[in-house]
Amino acid sequence: MRQKWIYWYDELGSEHNDLVGKKCANLGEMTRLGLRVPPGFAISVDGYEKFMEESGAGAQIRRYIRESGDLAGNVGKQVEASRAIRSIIESKDMPKAMEQELQEHYLRLCGLVKMERVPVAVRSSGAISMPGQMETYLNVQGARELTRKVIRVWSSAFTTRAIAFRLEKKMEMEKAPIGVAVLKMVNAKCAGVCLTVMPTTGDTSKIIIEGNWGLGESVVSGEITPDQFIVDKECGEYECTISEKQRMVCYSPTGTATGQVPKDLRCKPCLDDLELKELVRISKSVEEHFQVPQDMEWVIDHDLNFPENVFWVQTRPAKYAKVKRDDSEYLAELMTRIFKM
Amino acid sequence: MKVYDVVPGLEFDPERDLEQSPAWFLDATHSVPPWTPMFGWFWINFCRHGMQWGAEKLSLPTVKGWDWRFLNGGGYLTLLLVKSEEEKQRREVEFKKAILPFIQDYDGLWNGFVKEILGRYENLKKLETDKATNIELLDNFEETIDTCRRMWEIHMYMMYGTYTAYILFENMCRSLVGIDDTSPVFHHVVSGFDNKVFQVDKRLWQFGQRAIQEGLDDVFKQKEAPDIREALLETPKGQAFMKDFTDFLHEDGWRMQRMSEINLPTWVEDPTPALGMVKQFILKGGSFNLDDERAKLVTKREEAEKEILSKIPAEQRGWFEQLMRLAQKSGIFSEEHDHYLDLYTHAMMRRSALGLGKRFKRLGALDHEEDIFFLIPDEVRRAGINPDQFNMRYIIDRRKEAWHEWMKKPNPPAILKDGFDMDQAMGVLIQSNDPIALKVVVGSMPQVRPELKADLYGTCGSPGVAEGIARVIMTEDELHLVQEGDILVAVSTSPSWTPVFSLIKGVVVDRGASLSHAAIVGREYGIPVVMNVFEGTAKIKSGQRIKVDANLGTVYILDK
Repeated sequence: MRQKWIYWYDELGSEHNDLVGKKCANLGEMTRLGLRVPPGFAISVDGYEKFMEESGAGAQIRRYIRESGDLAGNVGKQVEASRAIRSIIESKDMPKAMEQELQEHYLRLCGLVKMERVPVAVRSSGAISMPGQMETYLNVQGARELTRKVIRVWSSAFTTRAIAFRLEKKMEMEKAPIGVAVLKMVNAKCAGVCLTVMPTTGDTSKIIIEGNWGLGESVVSGEITPDQFIVDKECGEYECTISEKQRMVCYSPTGTATGQVPKDLRCKPCLDDLELKELVRISKSVEEHFQVPQDMEWVIDHDLNFPENVFWVQTRPAKYAKVKRDDSEYLAELMTRIFKM
Repeated sequence: MKVYDVVPGLEFDPERDLEQSPAWFLDATHSVPPWTPMFGWFWINFCRHGMQWGAEKLSLPTVKGWDWRFLNGGGYLTLLLVKSEEEKQRREVEFKKAILPFIQDYDGLWNGFVKEILGRYENLKKLETDKATNIELLDNFEETIDTCRRMWEIHMYMMYGTYTAYILFENMCRSLVGIDDTSPVFHHVVSGFDNKVFQVDKRLWQFGQRAIQEGLDDVFKQKEAPDIREALLETPKGQAFMKDFTDFLHEDGWRMQRMSEINLPTWVEDPTPALGMVKQFILKGGSFNLDDERAKLVTKREEAEKEILSKIPAEQRGWFEQLMRLAQKSGIFSEEHDHYLDLYTHAMMRRSALGLGKRFKRLGALDHEEDIFFLIPDEVRRAGINPDQFNMRYIIDRRKEAWHEWMKKPNPPAILKDGFDMDQAMGVLIQSNDPIALKVVVGSMPQVRPELKADLYGTCGSPGVAEGIARVIMTEDELHLVQEGDILVAVSTSPSWTPVFSLIKGVVVDRGASLSHAAIVGREYGIPVVMNVFEGTAKIKSGQRIKVDANLGTVYILDK
């Protein structure tokens, strides 16, 4: 096991998937491409293993598994195992040396952004695709709280479904290829998604950007009708549809909460021309780099000045229909008709 | 006098064949002048097979492909119509499923076929025909036959599917936007695309640029095309040039001047036509005008797309735009398939047959290697393994004699049953709804508008107006007569004609439709093309001043 288990994003790239998980490796790659990502650091899979070893949780889990007999095919037992393993992990304190190292990194982050007790997001970052890696804690403040949330993310690798997955794949039970991403919370003025392809038609000559006031969750979850900008990649001309945006997601002391959009903002576009152009410019360059259409998430910060306020939190290959199924069937139907004339 | 059937089983038999169908049309685009026996055998057998295969794979509701016959070096065709309503309905159901791959992933489909066929060519080319054993030569020939057969399957399956989409787009433009394929806006939407044929032309232009930079341009300017190669080989710089040029030809020079024949050398064998094109580019000077033209066309296309899309209701725009993208690929396919399919396969046929021809000559079966083109595969097989045991001259002599006779007397444009006239025959073609018949062979019938007082009426293949000296060109050999600023007058054109489009101001062709070669290339070069005038080559004389107005579909002969 490597001694080093915490990395800054500029030390990482897509080749570090196995070391820190997909999300962190991706943030590293984005940093390398010159995309502005929220400042923060990544905890590697080694960090997880170090914790399991030094805290004694690993040994305890092994004992539990040995004693509980065959779990395969017994859902009741798997549910029980999930509960037991998670409580084993969450009952452990982080070993002193590790806690200190994590604290040092957090304090350096505070220094970097010139804030005391900077609020961060703590997200799981799996190295392989397996269930139970969706854990996210927002608005985490202070080193002690951060330590607790990191342990929680680790324990989230032991949901019942994740246990079933390990049994099916014959993976060792106490193993979890999981990293953790720690990122400064952006004080989101507005946020949303950006696709460099029209998802419904597969038209790659356009970029579609959707956004709402506040955090991006409201756009990603599809609960509200966001503002929509369809931009031509070649000439930069765009069409926009501005919706009446009634609700938005904001931070609350315990995480996030849905609130009302102030009346005067509801019918105003959430992006101005300059910001839109910047999103288009960056997304085009990222698509160019990866050579496939991208699905990206962006946030515009309240406090910083343009363009330092444009942050990216995610980029991945876009999923899109080459042609929407019903459209192609409709076309086939129309083609049949030409033989009837 | 007929010696043996050239295409056994598919020779035209007036009595039986007019019973089967009352109208047989000459394929004037491909079989004038008449084919050599070997080429005719390949075409009649496999073009016929490919059309029926393609129509069947797609389950075209109204037509089962075409039937072909061979007569005196000419190919005669008729349509195989679906006869009962009930069968049409059954085929419609299948067609709806079969056409989906074209809609869902056109590029994947076409690129897959290109890869497959190029793989076959590579395999065929591995054999060094001079060193091969007789058996290897014969095997190579058998594989070539199989490759030709496969080429036509791909060819016609792709062509039927592609043109069906194109016709639908035309129809939708007519009903939703109110424009048809004679409208300039329509032409703008389908032009401004690169394709493999243009890329080859551009490589030739680049060689011209290199010749200028390296001071070799005088060789090109002073020598006639057939002497350029020798002259280049006199200097080290010229030798280096020819080496790279030969490498280029081995990549992209697998084609002959005449697309549908094998009795002329490929560029690989004789670089004269290719060097002649480099010469033309050097004489003309300036930039590669397709690049300049393309930039303009792309802008025009985008404007035209916007104009058309703005007239489509928002909820229809999704599928309409998809259809438009698909139709735009038709032009690219029309040009590229000539390169990857017809020309390349025919070059492979020539290569393989000539390999055997040389061997037959060496071992005494015939006198000249090219005499092999007067044999058909069964006869080649007769002497294949032991050419020293057979004398094929008696067949060759009689076939050659017949072939010279075919040349003297042109084949009739159609053979009709008594009491059946040309209008009725054209009616059958149109009723078939056969996408290839409609878009390549027949085209739309010109409207005669006496108030315009034109000498010839045609349809618009590419919009624009031009005035210039007419140059009537009947075969590829005469292409060097074309001068800058001429208006080309021809029966029809094919890929080896493409480079002269950079010289001319306009085109008049006797036959053609919006997906014919002249229309596609005319649009890419931004010059007017009037098509389907029927009597252009008969009425217009080289040297006359003429005016073409493609927007109206008219041709005026200014000095009569």
